[in-house]
This record gives sequence, C-alpha cells and structure tokens, in this order.
Amino acid sequence: MRFLVFCLVALGALWMAWAQDARVGELLPREATFENPSGRLTVLNADGPVATKGHPFFEPVGTNGRACVTCHQPANAMSVSGDAIRERWRASGGKDPIFAAIDGSNNPSLPQDQEASHSLLLKRGLFRIALQWPPARNAEPEFTIEVVSDPTGVNRDPRWGLTGVAHAVSVFRRPRPVANLKYVLEPDSTPFNVKLGVLLDKDPETGLPVSMNMMADARAGTLKIQAEDAYRTHLEGKKGLTPGELAQITAFEKQVYVAQTWDRGAKELTGGDGPGALGPANLLKEQAGVLNSPAKPVFLSFAAWQKDTEFRQSVARGNDIFLNRQFWVKNVGHINSIGLGNPAKRSCAVCHNAVMSGMDRAPGWVDLGTTNYPTWTEPDVASTTAELPVFKVTCRAEAKPHPFLGRVIYTSDPGRALITGKCADIGAITMGQFRGLAARAPYFVNGSAKTLMELVDYYDRRFDMRLTGQEKQDLVNFLGVL
Amino acid sequence: MRILLAGLLAVSPVWPQMAGSHRAFVVCPEIRDTKTSPCWLAEYSGETYFLGIQGGVAEDFYPPQLEHQVLVEGEVVAGPRVCGGIPLKPVKVSVMQEIDASCHTMLPAQDGIEAPPRVRVAPDSWVKTEGPGLSTLYFDFDNDFLSLHASGALIQAVAYFKKSGAARIEVAGYRGATLLSSGATLTEKAGLARVRAEKVAETLVGLGVPRAAVSVQAVDNPVPAKGAGDAWNRRVVVSVK
Repeated sequence: MRFLVFCLVALGALWMAWAQDARVGELLPREATFENPSGRLTVLNADGPVATKGHPFFEPVGTNGRACVTCHQPANAMSVSGDAIRERWRASGGKDPIFAAIDGSNNPSLPQDQEASHSLLLKRGLFRIALQWPPARNAEPEFTIEVVSDPTGVNRDPRWGLTGVAHAVSVFRRPRPVANLKYVLEPDSTPFNVKLGVLLDKDPETGLPVSMNMMADARAGTLKIQAEDAYRTHLEGKKGLTPGELAQITAFEKQVYVAQTWDRGAKELTGGDGPGALGPANLLKEQAGVLNSPAKPVFLSFAAWQKDTEFRQSVARGNDIFLNRQFWVKNVGHINSIGLGNPAKRSCAVCHNAVMSGMDRAPGWVDLGTTNYPTWTEPDVASTTAELPVFKVTCRAEAKPHPFLGRVIYTSDPGRALITGKCADIGAITMGQFRGLAARAPYFVNGSAKTLMELVDYYDRRFDMRLTGQEKQDLVNFLGVL
Repeated sequence: MRILLAGLLAVSPVWPQMAGSHRAFVVCPEIRDTKTSPCWLAEYSGETYFLGIQGGVAEDFYPPQLEHQVLVEGEVVAGPRVCGGIPLKPVKVSVMQEIDASCHTMLPAQDGIEAPPRVRVAPDSWVKTEGPGLSTLYFDFDNDFLSLHASGALIQAVAYFKKSGAARIEVAGYRGATLLSSGATLTEKAGLARVRAEKVAETLVGLGVPRAAVSVQAVDNPVPAKGAGDAWNRRVVVSVK
C-alpha cells in the first residue's frame, strides 16, 4: 500500500512538473496524490482520467503562455501555493508564464526581470485584479475612492492606474480552488440573497439563480462567465474561447474534487469508520446545498476520533470548537448587519454553515475585517513595510454608510464594493471553501496568513476568542486534515 | 444595598395600568449575556425595556446593533419582567443608519436574570397577509430592506399570480412618521415610498411577473404620526388582481 501511494505521489509530481510548464500531453489520472507540508492531497476526477493534451484548461490558449492550470494546480488543491510560486521563480529564473506582467507582477510598468517587481506574488501568492472604476454595472457608485498609499505604483500609474488610461482599481488577491465546485455553485434554496433582501443574480443562459459564492467579489456568477473573464484578463486572450473550449473547461471544473487524504499526524484520513467528510471521494458522494444542523454538522462527525490517537483527538476537539465554541461576533458587515444583531454570540459554524465546504449557504461576502482599517491584517499605513495599496473611500452623504465603519474608510481592498458601488459592501469578501487548505498556503484573500496558525490567530484577536494555545493547535490540526 | 435594589427592580412586575401603553424612543441598545441566549434591552426615561432575544433571520425579532442607536416602538405588556426589562409587544426595532460609537454597552450574565425560552411566532413585524392575493410588507424606519419574511411573501404573491391567472399586481408604497414618547416626531426621508414600491416591483419582475403587469403607486406624503401604530405605516401593499 505504501509503495502504491509512493508511486502515485511520484507520478503526480511528474505530471505536475509537465503541467506547470503547460507542456501537456499526459493523462491526469482519475486519482492523483500530491505531497504537501502537512501530508498528501488527492485530486479526484469523477468522470475518469483527463487527457490534458489539447485540453483548453491545460493548454496556453491565450497569448501570454498561461493556461488555467498555471494558477490552478492539482498539487495545490487547484489553487497555487506560495511555495510552488517561489519554486517556479527559482526554476525558471522568473520566466514562467505565471509571472506574466499583466497580473503576475506588482505593476506591469515595472522591469519584469526583477524579483522585487513580483514581490506580492512571491511573498503572498497574490495576483493583481484590475477592476474598472466606476464599475460597469453601477455608473454612480455610492462612494468616491482615492489612492492613499501605492507601494506597487500601479494605482497611480499613468497607464494602469485609477486616473490613468485603464481607469482601474488594482487590488491583489489569492486564486480560489477550482474544485469541489458543486458545493460552491449550488445556490441557496431561496431565489433571494437573504442577507440583503435582494434577488440573487441569474445565469443569463438559464435564467436560474446562481450562488454568487464563486469569486471573492462575486463578480461572475457562472463558470462560463468566469472562464471568459479569466481568458481575457489572466491569459490575455484576444480571439475568444470557442463554445467547445468553454464546454471542455467547465466540464472539467465541475467534476474535479480535492481534499487531504493523508496527514503526518492523523495518518490515513479516509476509509474505515473515520470521519465521513474527509477525502475527495466523500466530497463526490455527499449532497451539496445542505445547511449545518445537529443532525448533519458542517464536516459531519469526528466522534470516531474522540478516543483515538492524541493527534486525532486534537482534530476532533478542533472540530468541536469550530462547531460549538461561542464567542461574540462583532462588527462584521453582512453578518452583524443583517438581522442577527451586533454583537451576536455565535460559533464559527453559524457563518461557515455549508456542509462539506465550510462556506456560507447564502452569498458569503462579509466584511470580516481583513482588508479594512482598523482590523485589517496589514501593518500601519505609514509603515515602510506596507505591501498592499491603501485606498480612502468616502461615502456620499445620501448613501447608506458602511454599518460599522461609517462614511470614511481606509481599505486595502474594497472587495464586493468595487462591483456594486455600495458603501455597505466595502471590504466584503466572499468566504472561501475549507478543503485542501494544507496544500495552498498562504491564506485570506490577501495572503496575509502564512500558516493556518496565523489564520486562527487573526480570528482569536479579531473576536477576542481567548483560545488557549492547545485550542489554537486543535483548530489548526482540524483545518489541516480537510 | 444597591445590589439589592437592582435585584428588586430586575424582578418587579409591570403594573397592569401600564399595560398597553405605547413607547417610542431612540436610544443606544444594550445586550445582556445570559446562560442561554443574549437579551436585547433598551433604557429609556429611567426604565429598562426588554426587546427580544438573539435569534436568526427566520425569527420575527431582528435584534439591534451596537454602534448604532435604535428606534424602539412597542406596547407595554403586563406581567413579570423579562431578562430584567419591561417587555414590549408587539415591538418594532429600527437600527438608525449612522454610527454612534457611544452605543457599546454589553452587560455580563447575572444570576437571576435569564432569557425567556425561544418561541417561534408569526412574523407580524414584517408581513401581514390577507388572503392569497393581498400582502402588506412592513419596513424598518428609513429603510427599504426586505426581510426573509417579506421576500417569502413576494414569492407567494408571484406563485398566486401565476396560478390564478391574474392580470396584474398593484404595488403601493408608503412612508411614515413616528411620534416619540418625548413628543418629538421623526419623519422618514422624502422619496422613500417610491424607493420601497419600486424595489418591490423590480423584485416581482425578477421573480417572473411581466413588467407590464406590475403597476406602481407611491404615496410620499407621510402618514401623520399619532403614536401607537405608527410603525405599521411604513409599508408596501401588494395586491394581485
């Protein structure tokens, strides 16, 4: 068995090396397992092996040498880790297409052969997302936006900046895993966004509501729209994807599942009478669209591990803290402002309530505080170590202000507000899924948490959770096996 | 001695002569932790009022928010205090839009002060349905937010429109004013009646009603404030015909 796992890992690593360079022509097997710092992740192709040669997800179909797989690597839970990015810089001398000037650098106007010009990608795994301002959907936004600090120079750049030719706000974000998407795409059971009292966006082709949970700012509602957007921006495609290419890309994305399957501490994560949520086969098997309940908790039951090895007991305790430990959730836009009260004495699972994914069943963009002053993850604005841009956002007098930050807000990423133009959305970022976390550090939309412990530390500080060192470690161990 | 007095006040009943009297005031809300659910309270004119307990969006009571003042409109209920406060029922709580950093009172759990058991009640604060084709949606002060209950009522209205073969849906929006217990009057912002009505109309269209079948009327003169019942003037009436 160990030999078999070793072979799969070796094969997977070999395949990955090819895929990274977009030199495709191999078969991505039905199950491929990859090493990561915590253990092993398995990629499961539910529809069987995928021939990557000629496949538009794996081929550089744009103009800059990138393919979708460039930033959605099987070994990294279909996202891309900071370690993998740094390794690619070393291996390619910065020539890998992932470092394309358009968004793989801090600013396309900088000299692209220098490491410093790609520091946000290399340090934090962040890609530049340039969003037109004012947004196309809302020509009269509720706020004005000024660039306060621009470490990369891109937001004041005469070509790429806010007042430049592009008329764009550039923010820097982590890529999301393109896997387990039935859990991401399943819309809430009502056609409404129950948090905001408005209708969900619709799929323009089917007219049916979409989940609005796929992207950090929910700007694309369907895989097809996202693929077309990524083709034009990240891949710098010009001629457009054909219907056949779009169909191939979205079909692949819908059938791929990822999760950890082996952990250095917990060992085998699947099989036997272990937790029923672990491993990609269980993600394939379970139904999407299920809300957390006592009968079906978010990550099902870890009871079998409560009397197991010390590490597995720690994981089970972490799951228990996630589900049941109550603390005061305070000043979170689109959580405390939607009829739950501010503060609300709740547990993690009240917001991370979707079974198997840990996302929100309702559209999950919330202002947790990671990108907005004073709870943001960044050093002081004035600090010379600041890496991200800072914007001053001023809400118009007649607009509804941000519920907990008022009318003047300093932010490193206005999030959903860059799409809607609404003050209430400033800093609101869609929560991501919890699966394959061990394979895709760093965390948070801005890559500010290098480790799961740093992620847990942020929550502990943000909500004064008063977790003990052991409890933090329990949460880290729990998150790491997902 | 102070503790004793506080304890006595916390459990003293509400006198029958107070029952049914209307209260309307704008204050900072307070939250009290308990062994079970946190309670939301408001102090006004030397008295503490119980507003409700923490719940979810499926409940009738949507709690206040610290960092904001709250408009409380309700009727005093006779009987024992709840969570240390005089209960108001029905009670409508509207979060004031602007931030007030002085609203930050969190009270610790205290022996003898307990939250009432959770009881699921009809969402009377949000919607009143009179037959399958007539619904009235209620709104918080200066707000056009459609609660889960209001959106549910619109889904039902559209289902009835389609099933019954009705020709049209009439939407009428109103704005209100509130006579506060202090004697002052709060009036909702101008134009809100139309904002509410058009939001409801757009939602009906989004749910599948032909645009041509939806008519919109806005009554932007605020209904005169008189105290009790003012909260129910902030409304949109949806009639399937």
